[in-house]
Amino acid sequence: MTQAPYGVMAEFKTPDALLAAVRSAKRAGYTRFDAYSPFPLPDLAEELGVRTTVIPWIAFVAGLIGAGLQYGAQYWMNAVDYPLNVGGRPLDSWPAFIPATLIVAILWAGAATLIGLLLILRLPRLHHPVFAVHGFERASNDRFFLCILGDDPLFEDNETRGFLEAQSPMIVREVPACG
Amino acid sequence: MSGRAQAVTSTVADVALSRRFGWVWWIALLASGALVLLLGYTLISVAILGVGVWGVNIPFVWGFDLINYAWWIGIANGASLFAAILVLRRHGLRTAVNRFAEGVAFFAVICAGIFPIVHLGRPWLFYWVFPYPATFQVWPQFRSTLTWDFWAISTHAIVTSLLWYVGLIPDLATLRDRARTRAAKRVYGVFALGWRGSVRHWAYHQRAYRLVAILVLPLILIMQSTVAFEFAVTLVPDWHETRQPLHFVATGLAQGLSIVLLVAVLLRWGLRLGRYIDEEDVDLLGRLVLASALVSGYLYLDEIASALLAERIPQEATFNRITGDYAGLYWMSIVYSIVIPQLLWLKAARQSTVAGIFVGISIGVGIWFDRFSIIIGGLQTDYLPSIWRTYAPTLPETGLFLGTLGLFAALLLLFVRFLPVVSMFETRHDEHEEASS
Repeated sequence: MTQAPYGVMAEFKTPDALLAAVRSAKRAGYTRFDAYSPFPLPDLAEELGVRTTVIPWIAFVAGLIGAGLQYGAQYWMNAVDYPLNVGGRPLDSWPAFIPATLIVAILWAGAATLIGLLLILRLPRLHHPVFAVHGFERASNDRFFLCILGDDPLFEDNETRGFLEAQSPMIVREVPACG
Repeated sequence: MSGRAQAVTSTVADVALSRRFGWVWWIALLASGALVLLLGYTLISVAILGVGVWGVNIPFVWGFDLINYAWWIGIANGASLFAAILVLRRHGLRTAVNRFAEGVAFFAVICAGIFPIVHLGRPWLFYWVFPYPATFQVWPQFRSTLTWDFWAISTHAIVTSLLWYVGLIPDLATLRDRARTRAAKRVYGVFALGWRGSVRHWAYHQRAYRLVAILVLPLILIMQSTVAFEFAVTLVPDWHETRQPLHFVATGLAQGLSIVLLVAVLLRWGLRLGRYIDEEDVDLLGRLVLASALVSGYLYLDEIASALLAERIPQEATFNRITGDYAGLYWMSIVYSIVIPQLLWLKAARQSTVAGIFVGISIGVGIWFDRFSIIIGGLQTDYLPSIWRTYAPTLPETGLFLGTLGLFAALLLLFVRFLPVVSMFETRHDEHEEASS
């Protein structure tokens, strides 16, 4: 028994052709597919229903945690655990604790956003079935790809291939499952 | 559109992937490599012999060390600010210069970070500024500007390097896919983290990238202010001024922009990237440099006006900086960072490679003189006449500074050699939008 393929992939020459193909795939009832492009395509991302609102939330929450930790650490260390009286100033001299608090809030927000980004994208992942497709290396250059995944409820090898071929692609190829 | 996208990718990517790079690059790398060796030598000599090899003494406890630190930080912040603004405004110019503006910022932070660490005297104990549970059971003093500086430098280095790297990932994937040798494919492939250009990934990538660019804006304003606070919170008459943060932010911006202009002009000329960094881009950069030089000029006037309103001792301290032993530095900084950039009023100068190099270096030199004037000239007439003396850097200090220049140049040369200096995916995107409009 041969293993079910990862999916079927069509190659397009322009982003508009890819967008049209994604629209008709949605109309045809496909739900599990992904598109690949050499540069960001915001319209297509919207069409695919990608919602990125989690990113600012990550930054906001991480920034708050960072600020809280830094201020708390400064207060506890300089006012509670080892109180040091400098020139008779109050032990909790908050204005002096503000610069480092703001800076560390930015550190947490920035680092959490970028590291969180990689976690959301599940990168690094050096091996992926789509890389096995001949000609896919041009997805980082000048070609646009639509891949309908094998775990889509409507996926049926020949039918899906026929559907993609009707979208006037340059070529349609099967993406073998790996492993 | 497809053919044009192909052209972008091959022009930029082939620079990074080519086997030969010409003798100019090799000579430049050898020269900067020699300076990096000098840096290593001066660092080791300071570590073994101590900071006594420097010309510093009371009242000049910082000397060259802080001058060069503040100077490098100015470059880093100016370049970061510029890159962040370009990303946020989605300006056409960003495709051309923001990648290497980020690179310049990152390399400048590395150079800046060396100085505060060596100047500790026992640099291997630098981690004492970090709040870790030490055996002495004494925590760092968080009311000190020097601990703020520790957080500021490390944050700037981490955030800039992450931003630079995350922006590079899609372009590293392009290099992976175009590399001819197996080794190059492997190396670029590992650093590309398996980027496959999924439209979902792009959406998240762009959102995160822009968000961190927003975060960079307050970061560098706070950071440059932190550097200025190191002066402003002391009781030294010339330094104890609330205008210091503004002065450092504004002149630092002029300096950062001028270095970006210099690098842009050199890349245009050296790598023949004229199509991607076009005349309009360089013209716009020239206008920005001119505008920031005018703001610096305004702040110099503000300094004199503040001094006129000040009490006698601070007033004398400022005027001593303008007319005393170190007056030459003050006037040189005005000539180099304010007068010479006025050349850029001429359209011909904004578009000329020679003028771009000349003005870029001139502002960099001018702001260096400005930092020298503030840090040395400002300390000369303190309240106690018994400590009035002069300072000059010794050979190890000069070597350290030249060494960081070499390190910066070497990092930049390696960057130009092995990584795409122009953001390929953004250029493709822009060309696509142009073609479809």
